[in-house]
Amino acid sequence: MPYHEFDCSTCIPERKKHAVVKGPGEDLTSCLPLGYLNTIPGSISERGCAYCGAKHVIGTPMKDVIHISHGPVGCTYDTWQTKRYISDNNNFQLKYTFATDVKEKHVVFGAEGMLKQNILEAFKAFPDIKRMTIYQTCATALIGDDIDAVAAEVKEELPDVDIFVCNSPGFAGPSQSGGHHKINIAWVNNKVGTFEPEITSDFVINYVGEYNIQGDQEVMLDFFKRMGIQVLSTFTGNGTYDGLRSMHRAHLNVLECARSAEYICDELRVRYGIPRMDIDGFGFEPLSISLRKVGRFFGIEDRAIKIIEEETAKWRPQLDWYKERLRGKKVCLWPGGSKLWHWAHVIQEEMGVEVVSVYTKFGHQGDMEKGVSRCGEGALAIDDPNELEGLEALAKLKPDIIFTGKRPGEVAKKVRVPYLNAHAYHNGPWKGYEGWVRFARDIYNGIYSPIHQLSALDISKDEIPTGRGFLTARMLSDSSLSDDIRNSQVLKPYDGKFDPIAGLRAKTYPDFERLARTASAAATAAE
Amino acid sequence: MDDMTKTASPTDGIVVGGLAVPIDAVTHDRLEQMVDYIMKYCLWQFNSRGWDRKKQNAGIIPRTAQLLCGEEIARETPGDRYYWVEAVSLAEAYRERLPWLADMTREEIKTLLQRLHERIDYLTVDGSLNEELTVPHY
Repeated sequence: MPYHEFDCSTCIPERKKHAVVKGPGEDLTSCLPLGYLNTIPGSISERGCAYCGAKHVIGTPMKDVIHISHGPVGCTYDTWQTKRYISDNNNFQLKYTFATDVKEKHVVFGAEGMLKQNILEAFKAFPDIKRMTIYQTCATALIGDDIDAVAAEVKEELPDVDIFVCNSPGFAGPSQSGGHHKINIAWVNNKVGTFEPEITSDFVINYVGEYNIQGDQEVMLDFFKRMGIQVLSTFTGNGTYDGLRSMHRAHLNVLECARSAEYICDELRVRYGIPRMDIDGFGFEPLSISLRKVGRFFGIEDRAIKIIEEETAKWRPQLDWYKERLRGKKVCLWPGGSKLWHWAHVIQEEMGVEVVSVYTKFGHQGDMEKGVSRCGEGALAIDDPNELEGLEALAKLKPDIIFTGKRPGEVAKKVRVPYLNAHAYHNGPWKGYEGWVRFARDIYNGIYSPIHQLSALDISKDEIPTGRGFLTARMLSDSSLSDDIRNSQVLKPYDGKFDPIAGLRAKTYPDFERLARTASAAATAAE
Repeated sequence: MDDMTKTASPTDGIVVGGLAVPIDAVTHDRLEQMVDYIMKYCLWQFNSRGWDRKKQNAGIIPRTAQLLCGEEIARETPGDRYYWVEAVSLAEAYRERLPWLADMTREEIKTLLQRLHERIDYLTVDGSLNEELTVPHY
């Protein structure tokens, strides 16, 4: 086994099995780090807790819901507005957060009464919102507050509201991934099948494991609507509470982030016979394959091909402009979970960069199987790294940029490695064809920003060159290009809008003839 | 016609079910190309549990073989239809990327895909180091 032991972690010998280097000829039977285990004492992990994984990642992107934490206000504060899962209802779920603000006295005397009061006050303050999720936290789980009983009381008093209780306190798993699991299973057990939706198409899907980061979901919805597909629910970005209660009526579950949402797809497959189709929404080729698969399932592949041809013709020259300028740049792909495998191969193929390391904070070995398979030889794969290991890897690998979360990202900046926010993005959306170009543009801007020329100078000892200006990004990126590439009339940098989502929200779509209607009309004519 | 067994030199083979199965160099190379595509472009082989992976592999790879041999595939149930979709995608990619497939007989294709099936089962289940594959629940 090609384990990699960090110098900084020799005092934590258990860490050795959490990092591997993919050598020549290595495959999954010889090269896979451990994963999804309790954090080793002494290793300062960058993981989140199971409460955060349930609320912050999966629950809160639901847009028409009061999301309330039953616990200390700090738990809510730390899961509020830190991820850009926008919505088309004026971002209600981002603007408002709710907590019962549990204090020491409640730990002694109980907090159920206060919880009920908080629920009633929240519904009163927002009379148009009739749906609520309540999240258990460590403190209230330990004192034994019965949230289900309180929710049942409120539903009796307010018959027009519906409440979902999520029992996933922070200690309920090794990482946020434990919370993903708990809320998936709780939702399918308690809410799926309790609402009957209006079906408006012959082709109905649930779009699962998509959180609408800076509009990703709305980009994909645009494709599905152009194909005449009804997206019954999105689990959960920009999704509605009642839409997600209707998941049992879809014909197909289209799964994007398997790490956070495969559980509900698997349960829907077992309980309702709805197939699970895993897709990649990132990258021209994987996205094109994915759209064709969804289209083919419904017998409308031609509609997918039309979209693929239009989008590729429009955006490929811009993607290739960046590819020529990013070729050979070294990348550390250090996201939370699924993006390590969504991106590992395709950014090398379509942007020309080299992935020198993949890591996951909370992924399972299954995520690393996908990531290790998709990255190249020599890549360092790390599970649940601590900050010192991250710094040691940066010193050893000398990447040109890293894609990670904001905590390790800020650490990387201090050692002058540019970073892009892999969780919340810089200038997303990054899904879709245009989104993939925006990602390439952000990578380009990160690597070639003139700021690095200035930030590398130490004003306490370096001579500051005041007699000359700094080099622009274009001067840096184009210096080694051939004249053909530099002066190409075909390739061009991104020229899309600052906000590509507003236009999608105003768009109208063709009304495809329904097969059911057609069949009915034919039968009537025959009579 | 491409006679793999006569023209190729032997290699150390591939590991299937814990045993090294001797195969010739050409077949080995072709299998590696097929495995590489699945690993880089597909996700169905990585469902979270071992029994589920075996089911996925058995649902998709033999159907891919049938399609490459020009056979029709039943797709009455939603589950069948899903497997058919994945198989069509894989067969199309193989036809496009692996030109040597066009020179093989149906029998040779079926034999090769059978070995591919065994190899994917080994890489993703039987030889996998993933300790969560035997967890009883999803």
